[in-house]
Amino acid sequence: MKIEHKIILSNVFNFALILLTGLFAIQNLNAVLTKLRFIEIADDLNANFLEMRISEKNYFLYGNAETLLEIKDKIKLAEASIDKAKNDIVRAVGAGSLSTLRRYLREYSEMVDMIIQFPSRDTGTETMLRTAGKNLREFSETTTRLERERMNVIIARSKDFLRYAFWCVLVLAILVSHFISQKILASLRAIEKMTTSISQGDFRKIEESRSKDEFGSLINAINVMSEELSHREGEIIQSKKLASLGILTAGVAHELTNPLNNISMMAQNYVELYDSLNREDRIELMNKVEGETVRIQEIVKNLLDFSKPKEANLQEADINAVITKTMKLVQNMIDISNITTKLGLDEGLPRIYIDEHQIQQVLVNLITNAVQAMSSGGMLYIGSRLGRKWDSIEITVKDSGKGITPEFLPHIFDPFFSTKGDSGTGLGLSVSYGIIKNHKGDIRVESKPGVGTTFTIELPVKKN
Amino acid sequence: MDRYRVMIIDDEKIVGDMAKMSLEREGYVVETFLNGESALIRLKEERFDVVVTDLKMKGVDGMEVLKTVKELYPDTKVIMITAFANLDTAIEALRGDVHDFFPKPVKIKELKVSIERALSGR
Repeated sequence: MKIEHKIILSNVFNFALILLTGLFAIQNLNAVLTKLRFIEIADDLNANFLEMRISEKNYFLYGNAETLLEIKDKIKLAEASIDKAKNDIVRAVGAGSLSTLRRYLREYSEMVDMIIQFPSRDTGTETMLRTAGKNLREFSETTTRLERERMNVIIARSKDFLRYAFWCVLVLAILVSHFISQKILASLRAIEKMTTSISQGDFRKIEESRSKDEFGSLINAINVMSEELSHREGEIIQSKKLASLGILTAGVAHELTNPLNNISMMAQNYVELYDSLNREDRIELMNKVEGETVRIQEIVKNLLDFSKPKEANLQEADINAVITKTMKLVQNMIDISNITTKLGLDEGLPRIYIDEHQIQQVLVNLITNAVQAMSSGGMLYIGSRLGRKWDSIEITVKDSGKGITPEFLPHIFDPFFSTKGDSGTGLGLSVSYGIIKNHKGDIRVESKPGVGTTFTIELPVKKN
Repeated sequence: MDRYRVMIIDDEKIVGDMAKMSLEREGYVVETFLNGESALIRLKEERFDVVVTDLKMKGVDGMEVLKTVKELYPDTKVIMITAFANLDTAIEALRGDVHDFFPKPVKIKELKVSIERALSGR
């Protein structure tokens, strides 16, 4: 179901609940009003009946026949108001009670008629009339009392109901909105996880979404994008490899051209000037040729080292000890260049599995680069600390040197790429990169021209 | 007749040495330099008839040498040599009033012919 539909449904549900409560309240209110109207009528009747009974008592005390006529008038009044409020009374107490009331009234009326016709004040007549009057009044009063009680019950019940309904609606609204927001948040979290892993270069499909909501289609869209990115990344890696190969080839060609040219020129002179050269000159030339071949040999060896990195011999080691040892190796160079060093080595770092010699090689490389990038009075910072996710150690080599221009930065780890002109082979960082990758680690560079360069090495903590 | 003066500039010492070894036997006065800076200092002291310079050098490079030579001595011929034998660098060098252009490895015989031709015009 779509989220939009879920929200609409929950709103409809809450609305229905409120409507139901309101209907119930209105119904209760109507019942209360009916009862109230009945009680009003009943009160009038009761007052009427009371007056009848006072007249009845007066008749038997003083024998005034007029009082009987007064009673008759009151009976007519009562009958008239009962007729008028017939519907209300039926609604409040039912047709049964109404006919009972009418019967009692009729009996009483007939009794009064009889006394008017055959005036009598004996005890028998008195008892009969009084009983009829009493019946009428008691029935009316009892009914009124009961109705009052019923009305109170209805009021109390609807008060309770409204209170419960209020809590019910509140709790349900909270539960439903919580449920929906949890679902939305869960989907958002899944998408966040996905996009984070994509940004880290993991293009695997996280999960095929089963939900049919907006997030489902969003996840599908991201999956498609991820697939496309993965495909593109492959192309990029391929073209990068080709570019590296191009740089490598150009680098090799350039590196080899100079010694080859030297050998060529010496050979040309050897042949051309053979007769005019003495023995020592010839030997010197050939020795120099030999020297140039050694130079070529060196380039080829470096190239082989680069293309086939030696297997790392991993041993448990304390990274701070390795850094301290390395610092001793480069201290002389740092002193000569008049560079200030600052070490920030965190204590209690976990031990890691590394090839100490190779890591030293990387550190010497980075430190040499840093020193060469700085003029006298520069500042070199070397730090170690636990990585952000606690599963790696980060080593930072930071200089206050001239920095690397942004267009060179992406090529910094390319083989034979050098910003140092002819003084660098362009293999140092490339070899370092290979070593760190061999350690399943990572090496990153950040640089601002004129501010300095920071290299960060990340090495995985030994896993048990 | 005065002997012609040839200057060789290349950061590879052997290039200068070999050119000098060959050219001196042809009767040229040859001076070699390992970088542009020292060559320019010497050029300000004395005129050379031909300057053979490596194009790509750290610091003062071949193009800068060419520019200074042409400012100081418009008649002096400049011959470029370079390890980067591609069309772009050749065009760049030739545009800058270069007499000749040699990719490495340099053929000394051809270099000598080129120098002779550079001097035959005067």
